[in-house]
Amino acid sequence: MGKDHILVGLEIGTSKICVVVGESKPDGSIKILGVGQAPSRGVRKGEIVDFDTAQKCVHEALVEAEEKSDVMIKSVYVGITGSHITSFNNRGAVTIPEEQDEITGEDCETVREAAKDVSIPQQNTFVHEILQHYYVDGQDGVLNPVGMMGSKLEADFHIIHGIGNRIRNAVRCVKEVPLDMEDVVFNAYAAAQVVLNQNQKNLGALVLDIGGGTTDYIVYSDGVVKQSGVLAVGGDHITNDVSMGLRIPMARAEKLKVEEGSVTLGNALPGETILLKDDHGFAGKEVERETLNTIIHMRMRETLELLKRTLLRHENYLDLLGAGVFITGGTSQLKGLDHLVEEIFELPTHVTHAQTMSGLTSAFENPQFSTAIGLVKYAQAKAPQRGWRWPWQRWRNNE
Amino acid sequence: MIDLNRSYHLVPQTNDAVKIKIIGLGGAGSNALDRILLDGIDDAELVAMNSDVQSLTSSVANEKVQLGREATRGLGAGGDPEVGFAAAEEAMEEIRAALDGAGLIFLCAGLGGGTGSGAAPLVASLAKEHGALVVVFATMPFSFEGKRRAAQAHEALAALQAYADAVICFENDTMGDAVSPKAGIHQAFAAADETISQSVRAISQLFARPGILRIGFDELRAALSGNNARCLFGYGEAEGDNRAHDALALALKNPLMDRGRMLHEAHNLVVNVAGGPDMTLAEVQILMEELGRHLGDETHILFGAAVDPKMGPRLGVTLLSSTQIGVQTTEAAAPVETPAKIVRRRAPELVQSEPEAEEIEEIEEIEEVDEPEEASEPLRQESRAPRPKHGARPPKAAPEMLPAGAAKMEPKQETLQFEAVTRGRFEKSEPTIVDGHDLDVPTFLRQNVRVK
Repeated sequence: MGKDHILVGLEIGTSKICVVVGESKPDGSIKILGVGQAPSRGVRKGEIVDFDTAQKCVHEALVEAEEKSDVMIKSVYVGITGSHITSFNNRGAVTIPEEQDEITGEDCETVREAAKDVSIPQQNTFVHEILQHYYVDGQDGVLNPVGMMGSKLEADFHIIHGIGNRIRNAVRCVKEVPLDMEDVVFNAYAAAQVVLNQNQKNLGALVLDIGGGTTDYIVYSDGVVKQSGVLAVGGDHITNDVSMGLRIPMARAEKLKVEEGSVTLGNALPGETILLKDDHGFAGKEVERETLNTIIHMRMRETLELLKRTLLRHENYLDLLGAGVFITGGTSQLKGLDHLVEEIFELPTHVTHAQTMSGLTSAFENPQFSTAIGLVKYAQAKAPQRGWRWPWQRWRNNE
Repeated sequence: MIDLNRSYHLVPQTNDAVKIKIIGLGGAGSNALDRILLDGIDDAELVAMNSDVQSLTSSVANEKVQLGREATRGLGAGGDPEVGFAAAEEAMEEIRAALDGAGLIFLCAGLGGGTGSGAAPLVASLAKEHGALVVVFATMPFSFEGKRRAAQAHEALAALQAYADAVICFENDTMGDAVSPKAGIHQAFAAADETISQSVRAISQLFARPGILRIGFDELRAALSGNNARCLFGYGEAEGDNRAHDALALALKNPLMDRGRMLHEAHNLVVNVAGGPDMTLAEVQILMEELGRHLGDETHILFGAAVDPKMGPRLGVTLLSSTQIGVQTTEAAAPVETPAKIVRRRAPELVQSEPEAEEIEEIEEIEEVDEPEEASEPLRQESRAPRPKHGARPPKAAPEMLPAGAAKMEPKQETLQFEAVTRGRFEKSEPTIVDGHDLDVPTFLRQNVRVK
């Protein structure tokens, strides 16, 4: 098996750390060889807060993935998130010299650099600049301007940036394992690669990756990324609310949320209670089902309404979402969440997982792994482009 | 763009400038005044007013008004607000003369003592008569100074809130917290003076600095308008690469801001950014974006930017706002009468000046002269709410009245106190604040939904 074909995605999540080993097939498909995961500690809201502990967990997950896939992992693609990740759209322009009448690939690079020539906070670094459209002499909808005639080349980019030090924390965590770092990828962008197909991207879709610590979102329309971002509220918040509302320990609250929790109100029988059993199976406290669901419902409703407001803030992207909303990530498994999303966004909603994969079915059919599998897919798309150096290489060289 | 800024600076703006006067009232007031002068301030006249001649002579202010030549004979008010009031009343003409021509008056007073609590409402009302915008910087006594002083301070504060356009209230206790426990007591007081000085300077500089986007007098008035406004104030200054972020963080750290948690309730917010000629638009954008996270959707931002070569490499952010305490407004308006009440009672009498000592013994001595006569005239306000139990009021200082009075004012004394919110698991992590809501606090708690 050629080593070049092995692609590994690592997601350092708030609730779990997940490693997916994939094999890139010549026909463009991906075969999942193995998945390693470990419960995450030392990570809050998608960001590493306790370095040593987090690193141990990363190591555990990597070892498991190596065992399962029987592959020696040398380099990984790392997913990042956190409330510091922000994005905006910007247009770059470049004038083609008169003596040169054909637009070259070099000009495309120049225009990319021009689009990045905006001020972001000093401490921030660029994570992605994702091409939206080219314009040649003001004519829009150009997909590939190379070889075209023109005097002015412009391009819209969706630029995602975040605080450099926090991104480097994740990178350092990987390097000290030690592993090579291929690239850092924004979680939602990675997840969208496998959750959506090209048709859905064209129609317009919103991907909500609701994880343990954060909710990452990305909007596709006309096949390109229009908006993306992070809201640092996730499943952990629900657990915390439940724990505080019912006065039970976090671990118990988490179990209760996963096993019994639902966002649908009015579904429980009046006075219906859930018996909490302690570790030895003895009966303990009783909680009312409706109370539990109310706590969860209020949190999710608030979070989704907040997301909706955020999406409406700049432009009304919600009108462009022909394919609807796609929810993924661990928290998307919450019962009834799709109906709530549907109600709030007034759009068809699907709970999805990674599509178009072969190999371990159990892995890619779980929404928890969307991001990690997405990283592999992203890696596959990027890997053949060895010709030019992707800017992320600087992390590898600087550290 | 830099050249343009310079040319702005060259234009002398003194003619249409609002005349600013800073008045230090009483001992604490003149301390603050000295501090302001030491820190340096332009375009403002400083006036010290005190009944204690000794303290007055040592003041560095260029204009001085002695209160109560007859009433106290150059001694202090002895911690009795009524003596303080009588003293100010006596010097009313002099006070008027000193206030004349000012468009913006800052009144600094330490409440709780005699001159500060007694004279401040009267001076504020006189200033208001002049049509000036009156901003009061009041310090509340330390809790160890005793309940009596606290009650006097609360009463005076209520009166001030009726006259002043804005009352910026500093609690010594809170400011003392900022000082390390080992620091001397003078340092705790100095910290209070410093905060006042900073705020006065920041607000006066809103007008004094040549602004690209100038915050006008009218805008400040709009932000602070309304009686009983609770003031939110923050000022931060920083330099270095990340100065926009640092300055804002500092401004939000101000004890009067409570880390921006109050901000989302604000209707109007004055934001002024001042920096040297190298201040960039990007910095301002970053700053405003960060600030925006703390604000509600409906907050009206009054933005000003000023370039001041004196700032050098530093960048300063001033946040100023007031929140209307909707329901409590009427209640808070009730104590308007306090100063009038002081007038009605008690003819000026000599008081031995044991500076701020035996006040407690004086409680019983107070007699009630209960006729609303001319003496209360300067204080009469159209807005004064008629009180049913006008004549039947118990003597002000009657012991059982004190706790009641204090309790009544409690709601608006909450300026710096907030109920402890629980964030559970997220206690130690970076808060997620969106639109002024701390999302780490359970939703049902924030929306006040009861769960069993």
